[in-house]
Amino acid sequence: MSDTTTSANRLARYQTSAHIAGVVAAVLGIVSVLLPWSYAHEPLDDVAYYGAPSPLQYNYLGLMVIVLVMFGAPLALRRKGKFRDRIAWNTGARFGGYAMLATALVAVAGIGIEAGGLVNVDPGGWIAVAAGVLATAAGLVLLPSAAPRTGTFRTPAWGQILAIAVGLAAVLFAAAYALGLTDSGAFLFYLTFALGLALTLVRVGLFGWLAQCAADNKKVLVFAAFLVAFLFPFTQNGSDANMSIATQVLFFSATALGLNIVVGMVGLLDLGYIAFLGAGAFTSASLSGSLFAHINWHPPFIVTVLISGVVSSLLGLLIGTPTLRVSGDYLAIVTLAFGEIFRITMNNLDGSDGPNITNGSNGINNVPELGLFGFNFGDPHVMLGVTIGRFANYFWLMLIVLALIMVVFVNLNRSRIGRGWVAIREDELAAEAMGVNTFGLKLLAFAGGAFLAGVAGSVKAHYDVSVTPDQYVFLESAFLLAAVVLGGMGTVMGVLVGATVLKLLPEKLRFFSDYRLMLFGLLLVFMMRFRPEGIIADERRQLEFHAEDEELAEEVEGELIAYHDHYNPDAAKTEELR
Amino acid sequence: MDLFWQQLINGLSLGALYALIAVGYTVVYGIVQLINFAHGEIFMVGAFGAFATWVVMGSPKQMSWQAAVFGLLPAMIVGGMIVSVSVALLTERLAYRPLRDAPRLAPLITAIGISVFLQEVVRLFFGTIPGMPDAKRAIPFPTVTGISGRSFQIGTVTVQNSAVFTIAALAVCTVFLWFFVNRTKTGRAMVATSQDPDTARLMGINVDRVIMSAFAVGAALAAIAGVAHGMRYGNIDFRMGFLAGLKAFTAAVLGGIGNINGAVVGGLVLGVVESMATTFIPGQFGSPAWKDVWAFVLLILVLVFRPQGLLGAKVVDRA
Amino acid sequence: MNRRIAKLAAVTFVAGTLALTGCGSRAGNTTTGTSGGAVKIAKIGVIAPLSGDLSALGLGIKNSVDLAIKQANESNAIPGWKLELAAEDDQATPDVGKNAATKLSSDPLVVGVVGTLNSSVAQSVTPVLQPAHIVQVSPANTGPGLTQGNDLTKPSRPYDNYFRTCTTDAVQGPTAATYLLSVGINKVATIHDKKTYGQGLVEAFTKAFTAGGGTIVAAQTINPDDKDFSAVITNVKAAKPAAVYYGGEYPQAGPLSKQMKAAGLNVPLMGGDGIFDPAYVDLAGSAANGDLATSVGAPVETLASAKAFITAYKAAGYKDPYAAYGAQSYDAANAIINALKTSLAKASDAKSARADTVAAMSSVSFDGATGKVAFDKFGDTVSKVITVYKVTNGKWGTEKTLS
Repeated sequence: MSDTTTSANRLARYQTSAHIAGVVAAVLGIVSVLLPWSYAHEPLDDVAYYGAPSPLQYNYLGLMVIVLVMFGAPLALRRKGKFRDRIAWNTGARFGGYAMLATALVAVAGIGIEAGGLVNVDPGGWIAVAAGVLATAAGLVLLPSAAPRTGTFRTPAWGQILAIAVGLAAVLFAAAYALGLTDSGAFLFYLTFALGLALTLVRVGLFGWLAQCAADNKKVLVFAAFLVAFLFPFTQNGSDANMSIATQVLFFSATALGLNIVVGMVGLLDLGYIAFLGAGAFTSASLSGSLFAHINWHPPFIVTVLISGVVSSLLGLLIGTPTLRVSGDYLAIVTLAFGEIFRITMNNLDGSDGPNITNGSNGINNVPELGLFGFNFGDPHVMLGVTIGRFANYFWLMLIVLALIMVVFVNLNRSRIGRGWVAIREDELAAEAMGVNTFGLKLLAFAGGAFLAGVAGSVKAHYDVSVTPDQYVFLESAFLLAAVVLGGMGTVMGVLVGATVLKLLPEKLRFFSDYRLMLFGLLLVFMMRFRPEGIIADERRQLEFHAEDEELAEEVEGELIAYHDHYNPDAAKTEELR
Repeated sequence: MDLFWQQLINGLSLGALYALIAVGYTVVYGIVQLINFAHGEIFMVGAFGAFATWVVMGSPKQMSWQAAVFGLLPAMIVGGMIVSVSVALLTERLAYRPLRDAPRLAPLITAIGISVFLQEVVRLFFGTIPGMPDAKRAIPFPTVTGISGRSFQIGTVTVQNSAVFTIAALAVCTVFLWFFVNRTKTGRAMVATSQDPDTARLMGINVDRVIMSAFAVGAALAAIAGVAHGMRYGNIDFRMGFLAGLKAFTAAVLGGIGNINGAVVGGLVLGVVESMATTFIPGQFGSPAWKDVWAFVLLILVLVFRPQGLLGAKVVDRA
Repeated sequence: MNRRIAKLAAVTFVAGTLALTGCGSRAGNTTTGTSGGAVKIAKIGVIAPLSGDLSALGLGIKNSVDLAIKQANESNAIPGWKLELAAEDDQATPDVGKNAATKLSSDPLVVGVVGTLNSSVAQSVTPVLQPAHIVQVSPANTGPGLTQGNDLTKPSRPYDNYFRTCTTDAVQGPTAATYLLSVGINKVATIHDKKTYGQGLVEAFTKAFTAGGGTIVAAQTINPDDKDFSAVITNVKAAKPAAVYYGGEYPQAGPLSKQMKAAGLNVPLMGGDGIFDPAYVDLAGSAANGDLATSVGAPVETLASAKAFITAYKAAGYKDPYAAYGAQSYDAANAIINALKTSLAKASDAKSARADTVAAMSSVSFDGATGKVAFDKFGDTVSKVITVYKVTNGKWGTEKTLS
């Protein structure tokens, strides 16, 4: 203890110098942007000019300005005041320094790799690195500030809503911009930049304030988030390449959310989840009126969706009924075996080894475009001067499906059923002793999850045009599981983040596509070892994995009480009276 | 009838392979109640270890059958065992042990991660070891003169020498296991730990070491299975552990998980059922393309009607 | 004070770097991209596995197309236009292939695509390219359904933009049947892996073999990822065939041949171009001797018309060999270039020439590396040369060329 105090005292003398050094570093960074970073034109988005920064360099410039403010503000704000005390300038500055260094290093590495050698890095690039080193060093000297208390700033409602709007718009543009980057190095640079920036802003306390704004306007936030997602196709200017990726992300997220009910909420490890998606897809394709389908009945899509969901959930019941009675471990392997049974069966229903339903490994091709209420999803149309193509149509449809699944998810989480599920997950024996119908609830979750997968699969069949058994293999199930585990079991946001990361990164970072599976295997191991609750943790879940953490336990308890009071205001009052 | 005897031989040799792997699942499950999903990959790594041993020995090709059976084969088995046991112990130490008190989902997910990771490491990096061929596609397994590709006739029934090897290996291993469990200190400690880990600890048993020896025994038998697989099918590849592991788990459940004799019986029964199904189920569903489906249907049927397995599980169902 | 230091530092560094890098000439290059002027650009795409297990074949396809494009640019084949290559990786997976196709079709400069390697990938790539009227020429898809529709007895062309420079299974299977009958084998067992390719091959083979007077004594299937063939072999052996015809690819065919012979079934195994690969012999070991395969086209190394291609390919110094489908890919690219000669001549931009290019394909006819290149009304190549190969002493050797 005394050691840290003395070292803090020693550091205290250099605070002003560190601030100044940080400002110098930021200015250096700004200067570097005006110089060429690379001799060759290919790396990043062509950073080889004097005085003419590329778009990526403008982004970097933005970071510099923020770092400048971080380091400069304490110099300017000499007097005590809420701006000086409630904002964590020093911590923000330190992370800003890290962000500068990381971004510059990625840039230099990217230039070195893409142009074939560090010789191609021009002084601008090296100055950026030097600025990063200086800023990091300055940041390390700074004494960390107290935790930011930006949530206590009083902001009028219109200001809060404006902040939400600006924040989400920034997210939308960042996403659209990142998707537009085709060069791996540029994408990685932008990713580092965005993560560094976000981390800096979190540390400085901006997000605390935003979180307060969001908490005060929850409905506005949810609505705005969907509005932003809805607006996304308009940023693409009719280009299909990114829309198809975005749509795939939505499919993946929707399926992962379904799996999340089973794995995250009830704690049943379902390793054959992709088979339920496949069952829905094959059902839907068979009823779609494709020339390759062998069922001569083409109900409207609304009916097909329901049939697909029912078929999948029946399969779920078939597998679940025997296995859910015995230990949970069996379920993992039996679902895995079921995934194999499904794939082999779909392969075999080809006329030579069984009745011809699926054309075997050729699958059902030429599934027609989706038609709903007379609207053909294959037709592009022009809206507000932007061509909305086939992919955007499916994107919007999936957005609606996703919203529905989220509504189901959130409401279940707060219902009697949801509490029963959590009880089963945390201690099945205790739950049973408390009168929870464990078998029934587990079966409900299992079949319900299968139903959602079937629904997603029925849309996917139309989107994919062809449905083959090869699309529904075990690795896809493992992939979905990785998304759920990475993002955070039992949370909606976490799974969305996990699914986006897992689907987007391999698309954009082609060079790592060969190592993708290996890294995901490693990811599962490391997540379980070091952060089993995922990136965005459900707090109850977090407590489960960190049972010894007293502080966390109190926090969660406090929140549960607050939550309870919120929904039972009378009870809270009576308690107060007492 | 000829076909019956032929399929019985096929089934028994296939079943012996399953049984050798199934022991690994059952021993580990009996002690820590963990389905070591990555055990199939330990089997695969063992086969690659045996192959690497052959390469290290200078890739001998032509030799007498005595030299092959008594020199090359034991060397490959030992080499495979060294690799598979080391990998198994590493996974136990680095991945499973820290999670011993975690919720049940954590080790299962870890196991899947390890499984995918090991497959990919072999696929991507086996070929980068000097002297080793690229493992992105199947690698021809070295020929053991006198066993690989040879067969003899009993009446109309063809018996492959590799089948004889597999069944003999299983018999020897079963005797060895019996001796190990009942007559050695470590073996008896394993039994004690599986019955009551806390009491076993109080009695001075080093539970960590017992768990490690369980992993090691399973991995050693998996390496033998890996060599047997290589000789039976002539090729090894990085994916071979997935289906084999799944089948072996089925065999373990069939015999009663946690019960070593059960794993042996379960393996043999599963192998025979699988072989017979391809011949004696009439019509389209008797095609060999359905054989895996029948094996897994058997697994589900066992769970419905006799969840404790044929010989009874040693572990009571713990949720 | 800090401002002064910053200013000083900035000035020093700017001066320093200007001195270091000297001339500012690169700043003048800003307009390179837009200064196209008279020469317009059109792109020919490639969709093939450029990474993963099949990348050797895919890179051969990409390089051969690149070679054709370079030659066309050098000879100024299409006045006023410069051709460029746009290669996309499909990782031999339908899903990835579809993304690649989407990317190419949304690029207004792309007028044609060479690819894919796998018939299964083509099934999801072609539906994306067709609505955009981008002509697709495959050097390697042998699945008959792609040109003749699902029902081969009533062929109808499903995709008007789809062409190929290789012969289909509908030709390969019957050739194998003719060959086996000609060497006196009339009892054959068939096995296939239930994939588009294998199943089509066996169906075509069976039809021609029984029509020629032979008997199929057993018809079995395996799953594409099987390793254990003992059940299949037991069933086949009981039927006592004189040969086994296998529809599928070498990863299964090699082990199958090895296990067949280990189980005492000592008859030759015959397959299509999917097993015609050195890896087959590696996997089957000494059991491969006497096994047979058919492959499309005459052996490239023996064709006079292919020699020019091989010389040019070697001269261009590509890192990877042209592999099994190099000559076909080179012809595919040249077929597109020939069609572009008509369609681009009057076009104002690349996108508007797409539909015309598809229309011009049917009249393309020239002598390519694999022989005469022209397409029938289904988009199939008119040259139907097949060669039978046989393994002797652990190597594939030419047995007979049939057409």
